[in-house]
Amino acid sequence: MKKNNGFSVLMNGIIKENPVFVLILGTCPTLATTTNVFGAFGMGISTLIVLICSNILISLLRKVIPDNVRIPCYIVIIAGFVTIVQMVVHAFFPALYDMLGVYLALIVVNCIILGRAEMFASKNSVGRSALDGLGMGIGFTLALCSIAVIREVLGAASFAGIAIPFLADYKIDFLVKAPGGMVVYGLLIALVSALTFGKSPKKKEFSCAGCPGAKLCGSAACHGEKHEEKEEK
Amino acid sequence: MKRSIKSISVLVCICATVAVLLAMTNYLTAPIIQKTEQENASAALLEVLPDGGSFELVDTSAYTLPSTVSEVYKAENGGYVVKLSTTGYSAGMVIMCGISADGRVVGTKLIASAETPAIGGTAADTFAGSVVGKDVESVDGVDTIAGATKTTAAYRSAVKDALNTVIILGGGSVDIRTEEEILADNLSSALPSANGEFDKYFFVEVLDGVDAIYTANNNSGAVCVIGEKFIAVDTDAKVLSECSDAEAQAVRSAIEKISSTVITDIDLTAYEGLPKQLISAKITATGNYIIEIKAAGYGIAGGNEYHPASGKYIEIRVSLSADGRIIDCLTLSEEETDGIGSACADERFYGQFDGKTEENYDDIDAISGATITTDGYKKAILRAFECVKIFEGGEK
Repeated sequence: MKKNNGFSVLMNGIIKENPVFVLILGTCPTLATTTNVFGAFGMGISTLIVLICSNILISLLRKVIPDNVRIPCYIVIIAGFVTIVQMVVHAFFPALYDMLGVYLALIVVNCIILGRAEMFASKNSVGRSALDGLGMGIGFTLALCSIAVIREVLGAASFAGIAIPFLADYKIDFLVKAPGGMVVYGLLIALVSALTFGKSPKKKEFSCAGCPGAKLCGSAACHGEKHEEKEEK
Repeated sequence: MKRSIKSISVLVCICATVAVLLAMTNYLTAPIIQKTEQENASAALLEVLPDGGSFELVDTSAYTLPSTVSEVYKAENGGYVVKLSTTGYSAGMVIMCGISADGRVVGTKLIASAETPAIGGTAADTFAGSVVGKDVESVDGVDTIAGATKTTAAYRSAVKDALNTVIILGGGSVDIRTEEEILADNLSSALPSANGEFDKYFFVEVLDGVDAIYTANNNSGAVCVIGEKFIAVDTDAKVLSECSDAEAQAVRSAIEKISSTVITDIDLTAYEGLPKQLISAKITATGNYIIEIKAAGYGIAGGNEYHPASGKYIEIRVSLSADGRIIDCLTLSEEETDGIGSACADERFYGQFDGKTEENYDDIDAISGATITTDGYKKAILRAFECVKIFEGGEK
């Protein structure tokens, strides 16, 4: 991990290491909740809150949590925050709760959150971890919203549930369905790749580091990771 | 060892802390969640009873309520919301009716229906407005809407059922018997010795002054209906019920006429051109005909994947005078679609043919949703007229 200032940590998640378009994480909720802009935004914000909270707490506890039980600890912390968010959404935003359904609870197993806990929060200070959570959360929300805008406006001729009359006759129903979501997703990945060409991290930089099992992995590609760990200690 | 104890204790601590946090969040959000869910459920109820506050489903198992009532909710302010399902022009009208604590209609809403949208649908909306403020007595005075009589009449009776329900739940007693039940009760009280089992007598003569006669199945006598009065007679034509002399006279002459009726079978082979649907024909000593004939209703002429045709004819008995006037009409058997064409076995349908001639027999209300049944029935009636003409024309 390169030592960057706070701003670049924040921006990192939004563009350079966008969890959806660059790291290709959290594909399931990305496809499932982007049929409607409102649902996508709600999902993004819910994930952002959980991400910031779990990043802060895991960063705080990074010296306390023993290495051999860290994954169960992270899961419990993340599940706790997700359940709290779920209860709050159910109480104050019932429409959003109904729309997201099971995907709200499934934030628990969203690999972005576990990935950031393992990759970043467990090695960095509280402030930087919070910024990382914020950046990744914003990146996730923006990605979801951009997919949702395309799918909802062109596929259902509406925006956040409000009908767009002049598009009603030209709906592309396919986009609202799962395969249509996949196509939009793929096109946006291509677009982001083209725009960040040469600036996005090389595969090696995140492929093994992002793997929760990197520390136990004997693969040659992980040596850098092990080396870094020793340095930090 | 020391390391694993540390691991376990850290994990346990984290789990315990998270559990406490969750419990706290649940404590704060659970009442709000419950409230929202209740509000959603009662939003529909609030539409018909805006000042109702919160609602509670009433357990109605201890009460005898009108058969149209499906659910009853009690409101915080003492009012009720009654959910009813009834049949207007077609089945499946679901009506919500909000009733205030003093037994007046606050609002009603047709929440589901298969009525013709442009006719019954709009009429129901208009009608819903005109029943507001009515109580159980004044609701009868609300006029049905022309062009949508069936829809609005069903609506009105549903609203009345709702008002009656509130009275019953409040401990009052209301006559919620159906027409059939009222008839059965009246017959039984007029002639208790019949044990409540009666057959409607099929008129083969024009009986002046008597509207209907019900004979007891156990031969203990009969009950004559004159207007609203039920007059019992025993087997010796002795009038048992209290009535005026004129009424007693009418009853006696009717009974006498019935018992002296001589009926002879007609040999169908002696005539030419009789319709093949004719089952049998009889003639009385006074020259009236009793014709039993088959009608090709939905069971023969209809049928689709949802309501397959039964392959059975409707059998009709009709009595006619020699000059071709229907004295009485009765559906003997039918296997039409239940709840639709089966209405041809209802007296409200076949009773319409009484007194009709070939000129005006067509002038009756069709069974709604059962055009094929009605058309087949009318065709059979027309054939009965033809039979009488053939019989009157003499043997071949």
